[in-house]
Amino acid sequence: MGFYHRITPLRDAILLLLWGGVIMRLWSKGELSNYLHPALQPFTLGAGVLLLILAAFAFRGLTAKNADSHECCHGSHDHHHGSLAGFVAKTLVLLLPLMALISGQALQFTITTIQNRGVVQDLKSLPAANASEHTQNQNPTVPEASATEGAMPIQVIDLLYAVQMPTYRQEFEGKQVEMIGQYVPLATGNPKGDRFQLVRLFITCCAADAKPVGVTVQFSRPLKLQEMAWVKVTGTPVFPVEGGRRTPVLEATKVDQCAAPEEPFVY
Amino acid sequence: MPFLLGGAILSGVLEEFLPRSLMTRLLPGNPRLAVLVSGFLGVLFPVCECGIVPVVRRLMRKGLPVSCGVTYMLAAPIVNPLVILSTLAAFRGQGAWEMTVLRFSLGLTVALLAGWTMSYFSQTKILRDEVLGESGDHHHHDEEFSLLERLQNAAGVASKDFLDVGVYFVIGAAAASLFSTAVNQEIILPLAANPPLAIASLMGLASILSVCSTTDAFIAATLTTFPMASKLAFLVFGPMIDLKLLFLYGAAFSKRFILCLSIGLFIVIGLICWRIAVLNLGW
Repeated sequence: MGFYHRITPLRDAILLLLWGGVIMRLWSKGELSNYLHPALQPFTLGAGVLLLILAAFAFRGLTAKNADSHECCHGSHDHHHGSLAGFVAKTLVLLLPLMALISGQALQFTITTIQNRGVVQDLKSLPAANASEHTQNQNPTVPEASATEGAMPIQVIDLLYAVQMPTYRQEFEGKQVEMIGQYVPLATGNPKGDRFQLVRLFITCCAADAKPVGVTVQFSRPLKLQEMAWVKVTGTPVFPVEGGRRTPVLEATKVDQCAAPEEPFVY
Repeated sequence: MPFLLGGAILSGVLEEFLPRSLMTRLLPGNPRLAVLVSGFLGVLFPVCECGIVPVVRRLMRKGLPVSCGVTYMLAAPIVNPLVILSTLAAFRGQGAWEMTVLRFSLGLTVALLAGWTMSYFSQTKILRDEVLGESGDHHHHDEEFSLLERLQNAAGVASKDFLDVGVYFVIGAAAASLFSTAVNQEIILPLAANPPLAIASLMGLASILSVCSTTDAFIAATLTTFPMASKLAFLVFGPMIDLKLLFLYGAAFSKRFILCLSIGLFIVIGLICWRIAVLNLGW
């Protein structure tokens, strides 16, 4: 039996500890919302606790003196020990996601992802929209204007609902609103070059099913922003018919770069 | 990941606390009837597709016939009550009952067909050597060891299964995320008007997206330009074969079997859904 065979139980215990530890770290820093719908976060927190318990059992197994107890069957009765290459590969594969999580690289959605998934501007193309509580007869709650600037803080998705619901639309038309989202340049349908998209990612379950939702923003002044930068836009929503369908457009008076919100997704 | 861990823990509990004799007593002696019962097990013991592999692998090590294991593995992610409820909710206003009943029926039928077919093949051609090589019944110690020691062993089994299957899960999830972000999903939109192409393309999309069966109905319901039969194909094929699952299945089954299963399911589900599209059920 090689050296790596002997250290496999120790490696497994450390991996369980790391996986559990990283999940608990994400939870303690409030970063689970960067990856998961709130409804699924308790499950993941529970998984983190269970992994730590499994790690504790694994370390207990390492220190067990009684060699003839259950040791014959530890490790799922699996007496097939792989090669050194397999040992190294398995260790790396199980460590890589943790490294991506700790480095924050797993958080990055690029402009290519947004373009490949397509920006939704029609509520019918949004997952769970049919199951939403928002119906023609029941308007979503209209947010109150912010005390500081008098602009109503709303979400991108509010304007998508407003397109479908005339009564909800009336709540916004002609009023100052402010929205936070990510800056996505508009390559087509922008002959004057004064438009961009303000995008948020809508999730049903987790980041894997994230679907970009966005509204068009019209702003006449030049902007020097990086793609996917977080911006706060203040302006007035209008709902013109463009290309045969009603579309939400925010006529902006102010566009400022800002920090990412605590909850980057909308649900 | 929580569901994979749940499956691994269930696997540990099964290994330590489920006597081999109990499982053989519970299943009917007639192999075809046993497959039928296995198809409905998913209703009683709901496990999603991420957690099912360690459970099935453990059950097969404990003596569950491969045909029954494959049937349970394919049916459980579709016939479980959470998936039924989420399909009903997602398709509200779009023939929710029809879609839910068809998804349940077609998923179960295809799983049973696969299971019955498996019963004609030797398990040496289906399972990996590691799974074949274990008799799995080490319950010589029920009375010899304390509860803590038995929990220690169950935890050891669960940990090993989690890490073993986790490797395949990480590789599968990485491949799925690469494809689901790098491939322009709007290129399939023009195929919506042609039923066979629409069905094939949505089965392909389901494989690439690798979304959990509890939420995939919400994605399918938004594909409004596609015929309902193609959405049904998306909802039945996806939980059985997707990029992530192809790697996960590798923890228990031979590569040849996974390839044959994938092609077989693609053809069978595709043909049935095409037939449903031709019938034009008024969707």
